[in-house]
Parts: sequence; C-alpha cells; structure tokens
Amino acid sequence: MLLGTTGSIIAFEPELDRLLHPHLSYASPESEALSLGQISDAVSRRFVGEPIVAFLLPSSPDFSAQVVLPSGIVYVNQYTGEILGVRTRGQTFLGFARALHVRLATGDVGKDILKWSAVAMLFSLASGLYLWWPLQRVRIRGGWRHRRFWFDLHHALGIFSLFPLLVLAVTGTIIGFEDQATRLINKLSGSAMLTIPQTGARTEPTRGAIPITPDEAVAIARAEMPGTTPYRVQMPRFGGLYRVSLRSSQDKLMGDRNSVAVDPRSGTVISSVRSGDSSIAQRILAANEAIHTGNVFATPSRILVCLTSITLPLQAFSGLLMWLRRNKILLD
Amino acid sequence: MRKLFAIVVLLTVSASAGDLNGKWSGTFKVDGGDHDIPQIFILRQSGNLLTGSGGPDAQEQYPVENGRVDGDRVKFEVTTGEWKFAYDLRQTEPDVLKGNLELKSINNSRTATVALSKSK
Repeated sequence: MLLGTTGSIIAFEPELDRLLHPHLSYASPESEALSLGQISDAVSRRFVGEPIVAFLLPSSPDFSAQVVLPSGIVYVNQYTGEILGVRTRGQTFLGFARALHVRLATGDVGKDILKWSAVAMLFSLASGLYLWWPLQRVRIRGGWRHRRFWFDLHHALGIFSLFPLLVLAVTGTIIGFEDQATRLINKLSGSAMLTIPQTGARTEPTRGAIPITPDEAVAIARAEMPGTTPYRVQMPRFGGLYRVSLRSSQDKLMGDRNSVAVDPRSGTVISSVRSGDSSIAQRILAANEAIHTGNVFATPSRILVCLTSITLPLQAFSGLLMWLRRNKILLD
Repeated sequence: MRKLFAIVVLLTVSASAGDLNGKWSGTFKVDGGDHDIPQIFILRQSGNLLTGSGGPDAQEQYPVENGRVDGDRVKFEVTTGEWKFAYDLRQTEPDVLKGNLELKSINNSRTATVALSKSK
C-alpha cells in the first residue's frame, strides 16, 4: 500500500514540486534569456558576499533559472533577472514520499524491508493469477456497498494491472539488489566500471590571470559535445574546475549523464564523460530505473506507472475487505 | 587551590581539542546507502576556527564553511552542488575524527556516519 501510494506521487515529482511552488518555478518567456553572468550579477546584488555554488539551467523557456548558494536555492526569472524567491534545503512532503518509497524513511533496515517487499510482490502476483484463473472474472457488478463489488474489483483490477505491476516488481527488485545485479552483469558481460579519462592538464593559478566566465565554460563544453544541451554548471570555487553537465536528446536512457570539466584559468577541457561510453551494466541498470520510474517513454509511461501504482493500495484495500467478509462472499 | 584546578581543567580541555591542521581522509556511509563514499579534507585550525577544503578526492575540493572547534567537538559544513553537508564530529583520538553527517538537498534530508583519520 505504501509503495503504491508513494510511487504514484513520485512518478510526477518535478511537476508536483512546480505545482506546489508556482511563484518560484515559472517565468513568462521573452525574446532573449539573460546570460549566466547577468543572472550571477542579479543574485550577487541581492545576496552580497555569498558565493555561487552552481547554476541549474531551465529545461523549458517558461521555467525559472536556479542559482545554488550555500544558504539555499535562489529562483531567478531567466529573462529579467528578478529574484523570485529562495528555498532552503531540507525535508519536504515530496522528499518524505521519496524517502518512504526507497527506504521507509529510515536507514538500512527500511531499505532491506522494501527490497524484500518487492520480492514478496512477485509471489503475490503469481498467487493472484493462480486464484484468478478458475473464475477469470473481468467485470465488476453491483455498487460499492455490495459485497460482491470488492471481490469483482479485486479480480478485474488485478488481471488488468498484472503485467505493469509485474514490470514494476521486477525492476524494483533489481533496484533493491543493484550491487548484486551490477556484479552479475559485469561478470556475464565481461565489462567493468569505466574510469574518467583525463584529456587535458590543469594549470597552476597565476597572479593576475583572469578566469574564464561561466558562459565561456558552457560554450567550451558545448563545443566539446555538439548536439547536447547544458543543464547544470558547477562553479570552480566549489570543486576546483567548472563542471558542466549536458543532456543529449539522442540518448533516452542516460542522456543526462554527459559532463565536461573545464580549467577555469586556461579554458582547457580537463575531462569529459559521455553517456555513450557507459558500461553495459550502467546502461542496463539505467534502463531498468527508467522503466521503473516511467521515464523510459516520457509522459505516457509515467502516467502508466502512476496509475499502476494507484492499483496497489486499491488491491490491498479490496483484498483486506474480501478477507474480512470472506464467509459472506463464499455464500454469495 | 581553585586557581590550580582551573588551570588543570583548561589545559585538559585545550589538550583534547588536538591539532586538526593537515590532511584527513576516510569515508562516510549514508544510512540506507550501499557504498562508503571517500572523503579527503585539508583542514586548517586557528584557535576555535576551522577552515580548509574537502571533497571526494584531492582534485575535487569544496570550501569548508562555518568551521568550529569546541573541545573535542568539530563542526563544519561543505556545499557541493544542490547538497549541503553538515559534519558533527568528535576527535576520539588525536588522529581520528568520528561522528555524524547530515546531508540536505532542496527536498531531502539524510544522515550518514563519518570516520576520518589524519594522514601522517
């Protein structure tokens, strides 16, 4: 019940987050967006002395830009530089729903309970099919007050959601046992985790040298990986290098796992990580996660995951009612 | 006699604070996480103030913020991208720091256990 309820919520976590914070999330599109330098100036004027940790670039023309500071995340109108507001870090309702879904909002014990729950769900689905098979009931008769209604609902919902629930249970089990799955895939495929290649040398700080701007770092990263769209820029004060994360629309599974590290003094590309260079294990596990979250086919599959997740609490509730009224149903 | 006692107490407290200057390495493990995450810190102590940098390796280093040393208790923060790491450690031995870490992002808050040792 818990997995289904929380799963249906987090299937649309970014959309729900924007729904809960509309005044921070949106900006009316204008002809031209501000550069990162201009956004940086707007933030620095308001938050004097606070260093910028990173820029989170908007993925849509009507979204705001986000600027990460040590004290919180600042939301900025990407066209006017208006500061829309600040969010401090900490647990929220959506974060709690996610924490419940992945580890029962506790530590190792909660995670272990959940991964074995996913295994138990596989057995539950098999037993449900076994019990459904003799009657093969797919129609729901009577009103919800009728005792037969819950029996029929459980059977009909169960058979229609069987395959998507099976997919969620299998992919959830693999996520729960990801370490073991990684080792198994690596062993079967003969591949190993890849190391990040260093392509350039870092320069030592020189007195008086003018570091490159974040806009220049983004331009260098885009030239390094043509056809990708930058979505995150980590500032060199926080990590020593500019680290630009880029999304490739060609790679549906791991398209957001491209990154380029740029020396802030020379503009040299120090290292680049391409999603296409991922190991077989990484790709299989990314595909598994994308299927489980519904990201594999964007909105349609996320809707399917959300609806499938909702059937879990319904099945648990109707199953409980059937069990409580088991003698009456048998007589019916 | 009272003065002597106060001096002894002060000396004991300052001795337990230890010298934090130098390179510290170790790991943290998030509660419910699968892996030990490596950590390297270059710490600079000046009285009760603690500065320096830390990160997953010697190359990727983030500034230490709000660093404070009180007796054997060592507290500081590090911001890496969307995450804020708040360390609350104790110097259990001269070359060992152990304690807890709270990680906060815009929607999440998690806890972890940390163990660092000073490099010779």
